[in-house]
Amino acid sequence: MAKISCSNLKKSYGSVEIVRDFNLEVDDHEFVVFLGPSGCGKSTILRMIAGLEDISGGTVAIGGAVVNDLLPRDRNVAMVFQNYALYPHMSVFDNIAFGLRRMKVSTAEIDRRVQDVSAILGLGPYLLRHPTQLSGGQQQRVAIARAMIKTPQVFLFDEPLSNLDAKLRNHMRVEIARLHKRLETTTIYVTHDQLEAMTLGDRIVLLNGGVIEQVGTPAEIYERPRTLFVAGFIGTPNMNLISVTISDGGDRWRATSGALSFAFVRERFDLKDGQKAVLGVRPSNFVEAAPSATDNVVEGTVDLVEYMGDAALLDVAPRSGSSDARQIAVLVEAHRSPRPGAAIRLTFDEGDVHLFDERTGLSLLKPRSN
Amino acid sequence: MNRVRPAIWIARVILGLAAAMAIVPVLWTFLNAFKNRVDIVTPAPVFIFTPTLDNFIYVLGRESVLQGLINSVIVSGASVLIGALFGLPTAYAVARHPSRLTGEIQFFVLSLRFLPPVAVAIPLMVIWLDAGLYDTQLSLITTYSLLTISTTVWLGIPAFQRVPKEVEEAATVDGYGPYAVFFKVALPIASRSLIGALAFSFVLVWNEFLIALMLTTSDAKTLPIVASELTQLGRDVPWGILNASVILLSLPPLLFIGVLSGFLNSIVKKTNG
Repeated sequence: MAKISCSNLKKSYGSVEIVRDFNLEVDDHEFVVFLGPSGCGKSTILRMIAGLEDISGGTVAIGGAVVNDLLPRDRNVAMVFQNYALYPHMSVFDNIAFGLRRMKVSTAEIDRRVQDVSAILGLGPYLLRHPTQLSGGQQQRVAIARAMIKTPQVFLFDEPLSNLDAKLRNHMRVEIARLHKRLETTTIYVTHDQLEAMTLGDRIVLLNGGVIEQVGTPAEIYERPRTLFVAGFIGTPNMNLISVTISDGGDRWRATSGALSFAFVRERFDLKDGQKAVLGVRPSNFVEAAPSATDNVVEGTVDLVEYMGDAALLDVAPRSGSSDARQIAVLVEAHRSPRPGAAIRLTFDEGDVHLFDERTGLSLLKPRSN
Repeated sequence: MNRVRPAIWIARVILGLAAAMAIVPVLWTFLNAFKNRVDIVTPAPVFIFTPTLDNFIYVLGRESVLQGLINSVIVSGASVLIGALFGLPTAYAVARHPSRLTGEIQFFVLSLRFLPPVAVAIPLMVIWLDAGLYDTQLSLITTYSLLTISTTVWLGIPAFQRVPKEVEEAATVDGYGPYAVFFKVALPIASRSLIGALAFSFVLVWNEFLIALMLTTSDAKTLPIVASELTQLGRDVPWGILNASVILLSLPPLLFIGVLSGFLNSIVKKTNG
């Protein structure tokens, strides 16, 4: 087991910078997820840690030792690839044992360890088959077994589930979580799927354009997104984002956008009079407003109802004077869903509101004072 | 339905004719190889005759034929081996490390085949004469190696490019160095296409006529040259002997491809059944 630390890590191809000044400490036993849209550099960082990609600047240290110039074999890492990358000309057994063979482990020992690992992953009946005879889920399990058998200090997963269908993906996600609980090997897991990131990660590193947007536990990232990008990226359905102008309303801050007007207690946000900001409310944070409520009320008509089983997503057109008012998405329990065309009055808890500076994209929430 | 039927019959007739065009000459050659001269030159084709092995005995009995066969096997075998030895690693390197020059390298390798063989053969003849190696197996092997290396490189590059890069990376993470990755991963995975490339270069060299004609006079003559000389045996064209030599000449490449495809099938079986 080992810590991983990346300091000032850089990667560039010619003049194109893929990763800029990446700094991260991964603790022993920790499960860290790199999350971000495609092209954000997450796989590149993983491959630099694995030793498959040259490092243009900065250092990677595993277990306290800088590994920049070490070959993958000397880094004591194991990797699971997106397309499994099994050896097509070898049986499942040989696929799993291939790494041990190089280390001159005795045949009996190889046998024992392959049996152990394949028992954990339920691969026992398939050891003599070839990869092409296995389903996608089984192939990915072989790839995980191949990584596990070397008892590495670090597990690296590069979008391991994105080639599987949705049902199998859920299943394998649970298996990976269970495996980590059992082995406690330090793990870095790359994905573009926020559900995988939220459910698996002790911490999430959210990347965009080669730069870290936010590092935090899944709850921190969901509840206190540091930037507008994080707010928009995390959460399904997407957060409603409304451009507003801030004004000083005496004891409260006011935020207005056309006919919509909101007000918040002064303590939560760090605002200036006249500031341009983006207000964010998650679709699930809307509730029906009491008839007496006046503040933070959105009135509108239901345009569209998307039935999703236990919930329904409403597309609400706010009643406002200006034409630029955007549709607002609202998540309600399916059995309480109004019909399309119905008038609706919505409100939300002040504590669920996010505000971001329109220019910098940074959150305007005051740091939590403990 | 009624309109479909004639269409099917027409298609079958065309198919049958095409098949006959391909098979009948081979069959006819095969039959004639076992006929006496009398049976061959009759105006009406004879299908029922007393088979004879005289033609084969004559062909195989000639020392020049046996020597030609030995020369052909050694020269073709050695040049294919050299082609594989140098061509496969070259193809792998070009496929795995693409650079500005990748396209030029591929084109240059192919361009060796653009020149008419005569244009190549005459300078080569002078070179080997000056080197004192004219009419030797060594000179033929060296010359043919140019052909086999370029063919192997040309066909090997796409074969190696089709090997998924991640599989090689997995082997790297599994601790293997570049040579082990080449021999234990890339080569076996690409083997199916590579065997095709080697078979192609073998047939190319086995059937080569013009360069062999210009570079040999007696000692190093290959089978195609020897076979062509059989036509000059006299005024009466020895049809039976010619047919027998055609059959004999066709057998080694057929055997070679048979062995290769058997080898291929065993690999396919291993991965699919």
